[in-house]
Amino acid sequence: MKEENINCRVEFHPQGKSAAVPPGTTILDAAIKAGIAIDAPCGGQGRCGRCLVRVEKGTVTHNDSSYLNSEQIQQGWALSCEAIVASDLAIFVPDSRERIGLGDKITSRKAAAPPHLDWPLTSPVSRLPLTLSPPDLQDNAADLDRLRAAMAAGYQMENFSISLPLLRRLSRNLRKEKWQLTLSLDTRSREGEPRLIDIRSGHKEQPLLGVALDIGTTSVAASLVDLNSGRLISQASSLNKQRACGEDVISRIIYSERSGGIKDLNRLVIQTINDLLGELTALPVSPGGKGKIKATDINYMVVAGNTTMTHLLLSLPATHIRQEPYVPTATHFPMVSAGALGIKINPEASIYCFPAIAAYVGGDITAGTLSSRLFQNDELSLFLDIGTNGEIVLGNSDWMVSCACSAGPAFEGAGVNCGMPAIRGAIEDVIINSRTLEPTVKVIDDVLPQGICGSGMIAVLAEMLSTGVIDKSGNIIHEDKRNSLIRTGEHGKEYVICRAADSAGGKDIAINEADIDNIIRTKAAIYAGVMVLLKQVGISVTDIERVLIGGAFGQHINVESAIKIGLLPDLPWERFHFLGNTSLSGAYNALLSPEAQEMAEKLTQQITYVELIADSSFMSEFTAASFLPHTDPDNFPSLKAKNRRA
Amino acid sequence: MTPLQIPVEKWAGKVTEVKLGGNGRKDITIGGENTLPFLHFEGTFPHQPALAIEIQDMEPDWPADLLLSWGDAVKDPGQWARKAAEYGADIVALRLRSAHPEVENSGAEKAKRTVASVLEAVDLPLIVLGPEVAEKDNEVLLAVSEIGRGQRLALGNCTDKNYRAIAASCLANEHVAIAKAPTDVNLSKQLNMLLHEAGLPMSSVLTDPTTGALGYGLEYTYSVVERLRLSCLSGDEMTSTPIICTVGEESWKQKESRSSQDIPESWGAQERRAIIWESITSAILATAGADIVVLRHPRSVELIKEMNGKWLSMT
Amino acid sequence: MTGIEIYKYLPKTNCKKCGFPTCLAFAMKVAQKQAEISLCPELSPESRQFLEEASRPPIKLVSIGRDKKIETGNETVLFRHEKTFYHQPGLVIRIKDTESPGDAARRIREVSSYSVQRVGLDLTLDGFALDNESGNPASFLRLVETAVNNTDMPLVLMSPDTATMKLALDKTAQNRPLIYSATRDNWQDMAQLALDYHCPLAVSERESPGNLAELTERVIQMGVEDIITDPGADSFGNSVDLLTQLRRLAINKRCRPLGYPSITFPGDHASGPEDEALLAAQQIAKYAGIIVLDHFYPGIVYPLLTLRLNIYTDPQKPVKVAAGIYPINDPGNSDPLLVTTDFSLTYFSVAGEIQSCGFPSWLLICDTGGLSVLTAWAAGKFNAREIAKTAKQFGVNDYVNHNALVIPGYVAVIKGALEEEMAGWKILVGPREAMDIGNYLKRTWRENVL
Repeated sequence: MKEENINCRVEFHPQGKSAAVPPGTTILDAAIKAGIAIDAPCGGQGRCGRCLVRVEKGTVTHNDSSYLNSEQIQQGWALSCEAIVASDLAIFVPDSRERIGLGDKITSRKAAAPPHLDWPLTSPVSRLPLTLSPPDLQDNAADLDRLRAAMAAGYQMENFSISLPLLRRLSRNLRKEKWQLTLSLDTRSREGEPRLIDIRSGHKEQPLLGVALDIGTTSVAASLVDLNSGRLISQASSLNKQRACGEDVISRIIYSERSGGIKDLNRLVIQTINDLLGELTALPVSPGGKGKIKATDINYMVVAGNTTMTHLLLSLPATHIRQEPYVPTATHFPMVSAGALGIKINPEASIYCFPAIAAYVGGDITAGTLSSRLFQNDELSLFLDIGTNGEIVLGNSDWMVSCACSAGPAFEGAGVNCGMPAIRGAIEDVIINSRTLEPTVKVIDDVLPQGICGSGMIAVLAEMLSTGVIDKSGNIIHEDKRNSLIRTGEHGKEYVICRAADSAGGKDIAINEADIDNIIRTKAAIYAGVMVLLKQVGISVTDIERVLIGGAFGQHINVESAIKIGLLPDLPWERFHFLGNTSLSGAYNALLSPEAQEMAEKLTQQITYVELIADSSFMSEFTAASFLPHTDPDNFPSLKAKNRRA
Repeated sequence: MTPLQIPVEKWAGKVTEVKLGGNGRKDITIGGENTLPFLHFEGTFPHQPALAIEIQDMEPDWPADLLLSWGDAVKDPGQWARKAAEYGADIVALRLRSAHPEVENSGAEKAKRTVASVLEAVDLPLIVLGPEVAEKDNEVLLAVSEIGRGQRLALGNCTDKNYRAIAASCLANEHVAIAKAPTDVNLSKQLNMLLHEAGLPMSSVLTDPTTGALGYGLEYTYSVVERLRLSCLSGDEMTSTPIICTVGEESWKQKESRSSQDIPESWGAQERRAIIWESITSAILATAGADIVVLRHPRSVELIKEMNGKWLSMT
Repeated sequence: MTGIEIYKYLPKTNCKKCGFPTCLAFAMKVAQKQAEISLCPELSPESRQFLEEASRPPIKLVSIGRDKKIETGNETVLFRHEKTFYHQPGLVIRIKDTESPGDAARRIREVSSYSVQRVGLDLTLDGFALDNESGNPASFLRLVETAVNNTDMPLVLMSPDTATMKLALDKTAQNRPLIYSATRDNWQDMAQLALDYHCPLAVSERESPGNLAELTERVIQMGVEDIITDPGADSFGNSVDLLTQLRRLAINKRCRPLGYPSITFPGDHASGPEDEALLAAQQIAKYAGIIVLDHFYPGIVYPLLTLRLNIYTDPQKPVKVAAGIYPINDPGNSDPLLVTTDFSLTYFSVAGEIQSCGFPSWLLICDTGGLSVLTAWAAGKFNAREIAKTAKQFGVNDYVNHNALVIPGYVAVIKGALEEEMAGWKILVGPREAMDIGNYLKRTWRENVL
């Protein structure tokens, strides 16, 4: 037989090049032969999904690839490193951007959708135009009585409270625009009667704004919202300035115990908030609109933060949160006015802090649970907030339990040599070529990398494990002396994720064994927390119908890698849902709906808190989980199946 | 009344058989049981639990009573090994104590010489234990590994930090690795998984779960051994390796075994107490699932032998 | 039952009347046997009955004796790591009526007054088995009388003869001795005695667990409630077999006639006191309720009592030793002072190493709630401040004159902070692992301090 008969002709578009190869060749090898560079950072191991191509004509044989579902295969998509040439072919090679979009189907960047309002909208603040009849000698009642009478007549609202500072401005404001006024009334006041929070002269239309705020240990995020329409005007986030006093809540509490410590920490978080507010209000009211937002138009604020963050915001002592038996000063917080905290919005505006469930399951989790709507669903759901700590809520419409894992802040960048939060310049994904061990990194905002954030750590761990750089215990075992990527540095053995020449700081970005240990401990604490919680109520992992992932971290995580290292339970991918910053969206809901706010209060009564430290099985579960992926591979059947194939 | 059914568990797994010795040397196989210890009605015990007697490569710092029972033999490892054989050891366990950096810091050469002399002196299977300092263990065990090639020496200990070199040399020279993890069922299993990944078959691994003596953490070891065995029987190959407990070493460390003066009357006679301390530690770990116990006192060996004989013959 | 299963029966009102914040929290505590279902005042009678039945222990708690008691049974698991073993088996010494009354009296007094201290506890034996070995009623009654006069410990009366037993009960029934035993030949009479005298009854049937269950069932039918079974566990050849079968039948199969503690006789086929002790040791772990020993030697009893303490330690609770300063090997004021945590395993390994190396030392133990060194450090319970506080609390200056403290190598990082907290003290970093302490003390410590 002649060679032409057994060879298949593979054409590549849009390059217009082709190659003749025997059947059984991979598309990737055919492309190499044709002189086309298809990006395959994992080294053609079918792990990264970057070498995706579309078969336009002809037949290929697919390996069972975890990257493609049957629909995609139907559409002709194929992983060029795994798909085998079975006939003459016409292959379309998409440009890299398009490929990444597809290969990323299981990451969740897109999940960071604008917050959704699940409750009936009722603004916490009413703005009421009012015209008073001017006084004369017949009717020289006091200004305030006149105001009350007018409110009674116009709005059937005689009883409201007013603060001294507002009262001081009353007479001037009344007379400034001919007894025409616009009042802002806080209708959710806890005093039983509405509270007057602003008096302006005239009937000018002005925006009525509120802010939803998520105070995280690492970063703070804010949404500026139109209280009447619920429209999200803008969002901003920044690192919590308290980080200068320690990276996790424990070190913050320790700092707070110094003389003046609470004061410092409070000042730093208020500064962070005010800077964010400055950023939010620097924008026009509406896209293309002209009027600049005034901070004084912000009339209500809802804050969701963990118990410690809320304590420090309110300058409450946090010492006992740290010490056994872990007692916070309060879990339900009084309403405070912005002025009292030095937050630069309308000083009379109320600030509502989400109630906490326990010392280590705070208002951020109450807000997250609210936003997850786990309590409205019959399906058994696991809500995971992975941030500076890991918190878990498990349950459904019938019951809910929660716990906190002392996971530590590794995923936020702390305790890892090259770690950083998930901000611009952080490596958020890594693929390692299994032949050359050369890493390919993806950086937030496509700039030169400065360090690696949580999702990058998960990815790099999964990749190092797959490529044999580390063993299941996290020891760096690859001993290729020629390979400069694996070496002994000043912190012991390390793997270089990014060489100095390619990094923003001009230094190698490397991960060492101590870093790996730290990441393993963090993921083990979270996984063990899930297991203990499940055991406490007596259900098994596979009973979990939905896994809801929240927290800032929940926007970037790669489920496959997270399962591969044993951070997330091994469940079908379709059970995982990314909710983005649930703490912030919970705050958004509570801002716009009194029912949501009430529900938040109720949730803290309905969620049963479980103290992991009191559970004797936690240490054992933790040790079992301190392995990659886990000491019991039966808990990770999908990985076992994959290993068998390989 | 319906006749009573005796509940018999249908276990999915059994203990991996591990052979020590051979290649011209007497051999012994450990493991193979497919039920919990002593449960005659449920499974079989193809090999009886093995008794190893500990000797050292230098004169030991043992209590007088214990030293007395060995006489001058402790001065020479070869002679000591012969005496251990006379006292009924199934295996000789040689501790290379002099290699400890803070003892003599002796190295590969002395280790080789000592092991060669013991191999020469007796034809029993041999366990060689390093000083339990990871780097030193590696140094002496890798050296020893070369001289006893093919004779399936059990080399200990390897831990999660130094396992790769020892695993490789066990593989190359046909020896058995003793995997020691600190009193935790998960850590023991993890170490086996690492060894397995490194290419060492489970039939070349013994598990040392770290022994706590009676009154000094025995309950932890007891439960770790029991959990390892239950996990093995439920079908997990990674916990199926036979278990070795260094009973003598731990037991004779304690004041109950060492003190003969200024002790309360309620402690009773010193020698009887010390021997019972060692024997009970041994018997109880065998009841949990230990396959090899390493003992120090000849009388303890005798007692445990009697016990093994009785339960195996069902008398 | 799991927490969620129990929760289904609860009112779900979160009324907090049970003392727990939510119904689910309560359900989880009940599932872990840390709360009684009766604490819920809102349960329907049907739910209450169902839940109480479901949470009844599969092995009955039986008590023998009156003022001093043996309480045995109530076990719920086969393996201690699954939860814990609850009630230690009673260890009793057998006295035969063939012994001279003088010897018997002396032994009874000796055993009664025997007590040994361990980890702050007084460990003692639990009673006597009086054996009508002679077959002669008079000798037996004499022995019973000797016992009554010389001990207030619980008794097991061993005689196959119901008439003899009745006479013995006349003298002792007020102290609730265990009647040993009802057999297939005499069960009706013995059961009647148990009922008449309100005493617990042992049921002996050594043919098979099936026969034992049948005989026990008959005795239960007659109305006897407190039963001890005697399956004939008397040798290494059968003990674990029989007692495992009984425990599995009781716990896994809920076989009520076998849901009682068992009595064993490890001395019956023993070659000597050591051999007996080893079988007794095994029976402590595998599953005896009362163990009858033929020999009493403190050198053997002490290890057995220690073992019983070990095996019946709750594995779910971190075991702590008391904070304080412990002298090891009779130290003087120039001998080293080391510090570690109160986790028992940590304490044992450190104390054990110091003990065995023979170097006189002081060991300072910090209260960390039973955590190991690294865990305690991470939890902020073994830091410079806590160590300094403990050192001050126990007045370390009264014990040593060298002002040097050895800390575990794992917490080397706190050296600086500790030197600040303990002004004038030299902080030395010891080895990481306990096993290196001996060598450390022998070499490094001397160099550093002298």
